[in-house]
Amino acid sequence: MRRLAPGARVWLRQLLVMTVKELRQLVRDRALFIYTVYIFTANIVIAAGGAAGELHDVRTIVRDGDHSAASRQLEYLFQPPYFRLLGEVARPGEGLRMLDRGQAKVLLDIPDGFEQTLQEGQRAASVQLLVDTSQANTGYLASSYGVRIAAGMGQAWTERRLARAGAANEPLPRIADEIRVWSNPDLNETWFVTISELLTMMTVACILLPAAAMVREKERGTIEQLLVSPLSPFQVMLAKVVAMVLVMLAGTAVALFGIMQPLYHVPIKGSVALFFALTALYAFTNAGLGLAAATFARNSAQVGMLVLLMVMPIVTLSGTWTPLESMPAWLRDAMYVSPLRHFIDIAYSILLRGAGVRLLWDSILATAALGAALFALGLVRFRRQFA
Amino acid sequence: MNPRRIWAVASKEWREIVRDRIYLVLAFLMPVMQMVVLGYGMSQDVENVAFAVVDEDHTPASRDYIQHFVVSRHFAFRGMLPGARAGEPLLADGRLRVMIVVPPHFEQRLRAGKTARVQTVLDGTFTTSARTVRSYLEAINEAANAATQAGYLARRDGLSLARAAVLLQPIRLEVRYLYNQEARSIWAVAPSLVMFILLLTVPLLMALSVVREKESGAIYNIYASTISRAEFLAGKLLPNLLIAAINAAVLWLMATRYFGAPFKGSLALFALASLLYILCIAALGLLVSLLVRTQQAAMIITLVMAVILAFHYSGMITPISSLDGASWLFAHLVPPMYYQDAVSGTFLKGVGLSVLWPDLAAFALMAAVTLALCYLAFRKRTRT
Repeated sequence: MRRLAPGARVWLRQLLVMTVKELRQLVRDRALFIYTVYIFTANIVIAAGGAAGELHDVRTIVRDGDHSAASRQLEYLFQPPYFRLLGEVARPGEGLRMLDRGQAKVLLDIPDGFEQTLQEGQRAASVQLLVDTSQANTGYLASSYGVRIAAGMGQAWTERRLARAGAANEPLPRIADEIRVWSNPDLNETWFVTISELLTMMTVACILLPAAAMVREKERGTIEQLLVSPLSPFQVMLAKVVAMVLVMLAGTAVALFGIMQPLYHVPIKGSVALFFALTALYAFTNAGLGLAAATFARNSAQVGMLVLLMVMPIVTLSGTWTPLESMPAWLRDAMYVSPLRHFIDIAYSILLRGAGVRLLWDSILATAALGAALFALGLVRFRRQFA
Repeated sequence: MNPRRIWAVASKEWREIVRDRIYLVLAFLMPVMQMVVLGYGMSQDVENVAFAVVDEDHTPASRDYIQHFVVSRHFAFRGMLPGARAGEPLLADGRLRVMIVVPPHFEQRLRAGKTARVQTVLDGTFTTSARTVRSYLEAINEAANAATQAGYLARRDGLSLARAAVLLQPIRLEVRYLYNQEARSIWAVAPSLVMFILLLTVPLLMALSVVREKESGAIYNIYASTISRAEFLAGKLLPNLLIAAINAAVLWLMATRYFGAPFKGSLALFALASLLYILCIAALGLLVSLLVRTQQAAMIITLVMAVILAFHYSGMITPISSLDGASWLFAHLVPPMYYQDAVSGTFLKGVGLSVLWPDLAAFALMAAVTLALCYLAFRKRTRT
């Protein structure tokens, strides 16, 4: 500090005082403080509890029109963990009605003559699987497990037939695809869900809190007091951003070391220091966005709407809930302006894939550029409105 | 309850809403925009998964195997790699999701009737889509496998290809997708979005309308007036219910006309279910507004509530049946699950009142309970 010019020292002191004021305001507003604590603690636990995980217990009913050993064999292959057999119905229509009511998700319809066709071996014995695809994804997974079950039984049947014919000694060629899942080998849902929840809620808080704080100063008129003080508009804004960055760093530390690691064993494969440095950068960018939004609103209700309008697409379209690859190209390109899109790359790559700066420089640069641009926009509009 | 006083509160409320231009525009614009954005964004189709291949065999058989993946609409071929090493940084950076390595002697082993191994590396970071991608990979490999085996068997035993295929796969499971015949995600997502977007906007607008008066102090006029508690609550509810009903109609139009989701059921039933649902969630917003003091707190609480309820307890993303005990019970105590039932019932399944009446009954019960709680929570004299 000695070597700094006196002006700079005063400037830093002013910033410090303002930052402390912002932090105090946050802590004293009980609702906001509880919310901030909540998003870094209980919210992550709740999200982890709701993690879907592997498809299981798909409620299944059977219409067995064949009543043979083979049909019963197939029926009993639809077993937990994937399927849960609810029982049999006499006619397909009854089963369809149960699907209509949502009492069952899958109807396995085995026609008359199933075993006979199988024994003759002239053509494939067909069985129908009717799947409720009102949830497209679970429907698809259920049907693909079903196909695998039928294929497995068919294979066993053929092997027995070939064995009887004495041809069992000659093996068939086979392509064995060894699928190795990388970065999350057991597809542990809680790793993904807790990280994505942390990023999502951090984004919401980071944009909303500074925007709300700024608009509240406008509403109450305290902004006038700040402007007649020796503080520059730049300091007023920067203090709000710095306070936000500090809160986010503390919150992320609590979430990561207090909850995600001890409770869910979320790994940190990359550098912890890098992760926190980039979290700070991300908080800066989002706070800039929030402050810029605040310059467009007059009261709390308006800023709330405005933030909501921005946060919804950012949170849902940046790549956590749905993969970016599946979106139409124009939307994918539009999301380059979402800070979260870049931070998702950064956060998952550092935590789960162990990536470093060498791989992530493009995302880091994009986040920094967005942050600088948003902060500048906020500052320009703020100056025009008040100074 | 005096209808004239309710009317007075309602018309005052309506005038306030109409005069706040930005608020008014947002109240009607927000749901529309969310529908567009989320409609595109929440689609769960997994397509264009970036993959690259390391072919260490360079034979017709290995190229044929790779071709099975290249032509799939689920995968986007990003080129050949010289070795597995070259693919690792691309996976770490998220540029590739899948890398397939075909080792040497692939063709040779298949020709000899042996097992040929292939290694596939799959990025598991986004677990839900990774699981779907894995099942795509398995299905494509199985198809390639069946073709190889049928060809081998036909050559060895002098059978026709079709005959060999039947021998190898004697059971054929014909899958039929009900309700959403093309398993198109948007058909399922658009109706769910009606549920989600109403849940996001209705309680929020409702809560703000009461807390705004608390913040500005205008509520003291109410405290001091002859208006009873029930009259005030009813007067506040009415204009917000009207806005919500208009929004519900607009969302229905967007889902069916813009996104082309099929609507097979009765429009009257959908309207009835929607009105009851709106009443339920508006009552929730009202309850929140009575318990908090600032608009920010009201906003945050209603938004967090909407997101948590819709994402975890509505059945929109995770089926209710796969929730564990406590979550399952909780899902049954809040409205979104029942409305999700009602929208997917009227949109995709085309079922009628005989199937959906329990949902409607649940709404009525919940609305009654929540409104009773509101009545109890609202005090004209603040506690000292």
